[in-house]
Amino acid sequence: MKSLALLSFLLLISAPASAFANDFSGCIVCHNSMAGRIIYNGKEIALKVDADRYQASTHGFFSCTECHERFGENPHAAPAEVISSDIEKLSKRIKQKADTDAVALAACYKCHTETYNQVLGSIHGKNIADKKLSDGALCLDCHGSPHYITPASDRSSPVNQWNVVETCGKCHGKEGLAKKYGIEVNVMKSYTESFHGKKHILGHKKAPTCVNCHGYHNIKSTDNPSSPVFGINKIQTCGKCHKGANEKFVAAITHKEAGPIPHYAEKGLILLTMSVIAFTVLHVLLEAFSDIRDTFFRRRKEEDEDEESEQHIP
Amino acid sequence: MKSQNSTSLKNSAEEVERFNIIFRIQHVVMFTTFLLLAFTGWGLKFAEIDVSSWWIRIWGGPRTAGIIHRIAGVTMILDFIFHVLYLGYLFVTGKMQIRKETTILPLPKDVKDVVHNFLYFLGISKTRPKFGRFTYAQKFDYWAVFWGMFIIGLSGLAIAFPIQASYLIPQGATEWIWQLLFILHSDEALLAIVFILFWHFYNEHLKPEVFPMSWVWLTGKISLRELRHKHPLEYDLMLKEKSEEEEGG
Repeated sequence: MKSLALLSFLLLISAPASAFANDFSGCIVCHNSMAGRIIYNGKEIALKVDADRYQASTHGFFSCTECHERFGENPHAAPAEVISSDIEKLSKRIKQKADTDAVALAACYKCHTETYNQVLGSIHGKNIADKKLSDGALCLDCHGSPHYITPASDRSSPVNQWNVVETCGKCHGKEGLAKKYGIEVNVMKSYTESFHGKKHILGHKKAPTCVNCHGYHNIKSTDNPSSPVFGINKIQTCGKCHKGANEKFVAAITHKEAGPIPHYAEKGLILLTMSVIAFTVLHVLLEAFSDIRDTFFRRRKEEDEDEESEQHIP
Repeated sequence: MKSQNSTSLKNSAEEVERFNIIFRIQHVVMFTTFLLLAFTGWGLKFAEIDVSSWWIRIWGGPRTAGIIHRIAGVTMILDFIFHVLYLGYLFVTGKMQIRKETTILPLPKDVKDVVHNFLYFLGISKTRPKFGRFTYAQKFDYWAVFWGMFIIGLSGLAIAFPIQASYLIPQGATEWIWQLLFILHSDEALLAIVFILFWHFYNEHLKPEVFPMSWVWLTGKISLRELRHKHPLEYDLMLKEKSEEEEGG
């Protein structure tokens, strides 16, 4: 990468500004080496973009202004380039999710139009774009830093099969958020304790994660009849893996807290287990001590008898 | 045993059959499947602990471990069913009778024996209780398997074949029955493992008089000396029957 930095630096000092303004190397020459952070609109912003990681990412061949559209001419003085009206409009709807450049966050729409529309129609997207709240996941909340996005099949991607549970848990593991929106509080715990969750943790490739049941870009509230985990829809959703799933079968998996019967059954079983352990341990210890006592301090009556009887046998 | 007479019964070096080959095979199948179930199930129960992933990989990964667990479970249930049928056969043909000295059924005397034994342990009683063919410790061991088979076996079948099980579930019970089944299977299995670890392992392996293990499971035989020590009531009954037989014949 040193050669790129050097090249960029040479370009920077030799070429006229307008010639490289749109060029990746023009921006990265500085931003690759900026270790500091600044406070921007009340938020702490990292200025560094790792050129190596950026170029290795899915979007690594883009020029910076592909997404940072406003920064076409002079990036720091006047970010005022004319941009397409749909991106402009979208950026205003989602601006509370953007730390710095709402236009860049809206720019995903240019290529991922259908997906973006799905997100905007989802419970996450509606909360952001319609209710103007900052709760709810937009692209980067799940896919990670925009400069280092890798395919979901990549082990390091936050939406990879082995990372996605943790990624959802960043928000859904928070009790405050769950209470605020009236959704299940212990989703992470109940998943981890479920057969699905346990198998997933142990590395079972077919064990479902959050997204296999709930969907992802077009995720809906469980109260929404179009949600894959809404009431009767579960039969079809569970049926993806469990052929022949029926109404009584799908009740097996839920994030809800256990009802009184399982709850007290568990308490009873714990009591039973503790009693059995207490009895057996006490019994074993006492017996062991009495054996030691007998061996060292008492002659066993039975053994005497035995010796006698053995002597009688001709 | 039939060829022996009462004098040779007193010869403590001689052995009598305690468990026939059919019982011994049942026991081998039982403990083999038990160990397989415990080893594979333990990793799943404590999946969130890092070492479990490593442990499950030893068993061929979560998928293979699951298959081993299911096969072992079904084998154990078949072994159990065979045991009950075999007992039924022995009763029907009169090869086994229920007697207070030899039965495995729990009797009031077993409770007395527990108290008596504790008194002996504490040095209050100078004598040990006189046991029949099965001591209360062995009865406890035996009936624990029955309890386990019903609770863990049935819940395990339901979890292994959930679609089929769902047809048997009453409509109103779906809200709680699955969670109850998961809890029953997992918690009772833990109880079974802990119980076997403390109770069975101490009594049949670690106890100084049997260490490293009681060989009855393999040979099926017990020496008369041991029988007289450990199961005096059975020994006495055996003597009595022999003498009656001699008088009669």
